[in-house]
Amino acid sequence: MSAEKVRIQLEPSGLIVEVPRGASLTPPLSLHGIEFPCGGTGLCGACRVRVLTGSLTITEQDGLLFSAEELSIGWRLACQARAEAPLVLECEQWHMDILADNSVLSGRGKNGLGIAIDLGTTTIAAQLVDLATGSVLGVETDLNAQAPIGSDVMSRIRATLAGADLATVVRAVLRPMIAKLARGREQEIVEVVLVGNTVMHHLFSALDVGPLSCAPFHSPNLGEQRFSAEELGWPLPASCRIRFVHCLGGFVGSDILAGILAVGMPTSEEMLALVDLGTNGEVAIGNRHGILCASTAAGPAFEAASIRMGMRASTGAISRVSLLHGEMRATVIGDAGPRGICGSGLVDAVAVGLETGAILASGRIANGAKLFPVDGPVALYQADIRELQLAKAAIAAGFRLLLKGRGTNADNLKRIHLAGAFGNYIQAESAIGIGLLEFPKQRIVPSGNTALHGAKMLLLAVHEPALPRIEHVSLAADPDFQDEFVNCMNFSAREYIV
Amino acid sequence: MVRSEELYDAILNGDAKKAHAVTQATLAAGAVPMDLITGTMVPAMDEVGRLFETEEYFVPELLLAGRAMKSAMELLRPLMATSGEKLSTRVVIGTVKGDMHDIGKNLVASMLEGSGFEVFDLGADVSPDKFVAAVEQHTPQVVCLSALLTVTMPAMKTTIDVLKAAGLRTRVKILIGGAPVTGQYAKEIGADGYSESASGAVSLVRQIVAGA
Repeated sequence: MSAEKVRIQLEPSGLIVEVPRGASLTPPLSLHGIEFPCGGTGLCGACRVRVLTGSLTITEQDGLLFSAEELSIGWRLACQARAEAPLVLECEQWHMDILADNSVLSGRGKNGLGIAIDLGTTTIAAQLVDLATGSVLGVETDLNAQAPIGSDVMSRIRATLAGADLATVVRAVLRPMIAKLARGREQEIVEVVLVGNTVMHHLFSALDVGPLSCAPFHSPNLGEQRFSAEELGWPLPASCRIRFVHCLGGFVGSDILAGILAVGMPTSEEMLALVDLGTNGEVAIGNRHGILCASTAAGPAFEAASIRMGMRASTGAISRVSLLHGEMRATVIGDAGPRGICGSGLVDAVAVGLETGAILASGRIANGAKLFPVDGPVALYQADIRELQLAKAAIAAGFRLLLKGRGTNADNLKRIHLAGAFGNYIQAESAIGIGLLEFPKQRIVPSGNTALHGAKMLLLAVHEPALPRIEHVSLAADPDFQDEFVNCMNFSAREYIV
Repeated sequence: MVRSEELYDAILNGDAKKAHAVTQATLAAGAVPMDLITGTMVPAMDEVGRLFETEEYFVPELLLAGRAMKSAMELLRPLMATSGEKLSTRVVIGTVKGDMHDIGKNLVASMLEGSGFEVFDLGADVSPDKFVAAVEQHTPQVVCLSALLTVTMPAMKTTIDVLKAAGLRTRVKILIGGAPVTGQYAKEIGADGYSESASGAVSLVRQIVAGA
């Protein structure tokens, strides 16, 4: 006889586990990699989870380990919990390092305080800034609470078209972040600047996402959106200017516009590039005389989401693979044996495989093998390598077409800025090795959260910065893109100089 | 039955130039176009499909094989037109309105063409009206609809509904495919079948034609 099962969704991986109603969560969660360092006795607090949907009774141990505020926003100990009804849980152990921005900016003569927000599809980063000095007074990060609805923008669009109200969800998750940043100084906050991709821009602003759901992906509402603190329900003065910066195109949002500002493209005489390596890869190329930008659907391979043994960059993930005296060496996150591979490890492993000949230029594992062993039980399957081929071809082809469109070539790009967390973790050599980036290593610059950096620049600016013409190119509509995409799919197609 | 090992290999290796040259030479030596198709090209594309299924080949190999096959077909088609030989099965294929994704549809189109069907490829972002016009013009037995995005899947249903309204639905079998598409969805929108892969689409069309 089997007991009735309760369905539990674990974020941010989206993994689904089923447990018997009323049973402990410890066995099923530990099976999926959650660790219980104190053996599930409720003492260490390392297995903390946050209830995103559903409810969990507050246990005695919860009361001892969490503050009233933490309990009120849903933090519980997984080891003490009993599931009575379906749940969506955020697992702290899988929490990603959300990238804020540590660059030093200076004031431009404004006064008061401002808040810059990078509203990402997965994560949110916000900073409180002194407008007179440019210094950062506080940082808050969180997961985008829309994530349980779907990890990519398309599933968010679909949910919204089906009637879900994601504007309320995301405005609500920002409220406590803003309250924490502003605490006691609410009245001094004169301005809030939000940046994000086009879908986040539309969802936050409660604009119709219908036009973003199908070709030609032309929305009539790409412009800047202004709000009052009251309509957002944020604890800020009525005089505070709140704006979501305008988008550049169908799938190129104000996060890329902010990134373009952050890397200095609008004032540069030299040709620069900015690339955000995500499910939706975005590329911008240009200088003060003009900029081209495009989005290119890379799929979830860089996040290792579509990889058989893929996982987030957390305990047990192979994050780096290198070749030492002809032997493959893997680096595992945390004090643990390898149990999966994250995006940076995947790119490394394939680069190493190509170098040793274990993976052929066509992407096929050599000698007709079905597996490419990486370390311990962790291996790449043929289909995993194919996923990476699709992802890297989408980015490389996007670059090639924009370079052609801008009438230049890779040699003329002075710097290639990598935006976002993945850009910080990926090894440039490996990215070059698999043909993802077709540029010399010394020109590749990991640039962190350029969206947040650019949002702060907009916050500090007295006048809107002068921009050259920024043109959005629709790659999907370009037949050359399909050809170039296929050309870039093989690993032999690389023409790079290390 | 003519079996040209050289043409067979040229298709498997994705060598369009060689496929063209070999076909030219074989025809000059007196081969019958239809025999070349059934004896060499169909088995070659079958093998390409098999290699793709077993993960030996990937998208580039499949597209290159398709190009090689097409370069041979370009020589055969005019000869068949003059001799009155006809490919008996015609297929109209396209990616539905609102969806620009071409590659999956191209793979299916080239597999079908290589399997001896006459294929009319309408491209991507094809409106229901264009499908109607193509069905009227080419009188295909089969119409294949592709969509890669969950948000453009409903356009498959719209296309089927418009074909129905135009009184053409009973004249054709409609097959659908694309990453988010399922057999269940095919039933829901009133399609006749669904395939998960390009080579699966070939056997599906064969079944339908045999059953019709």
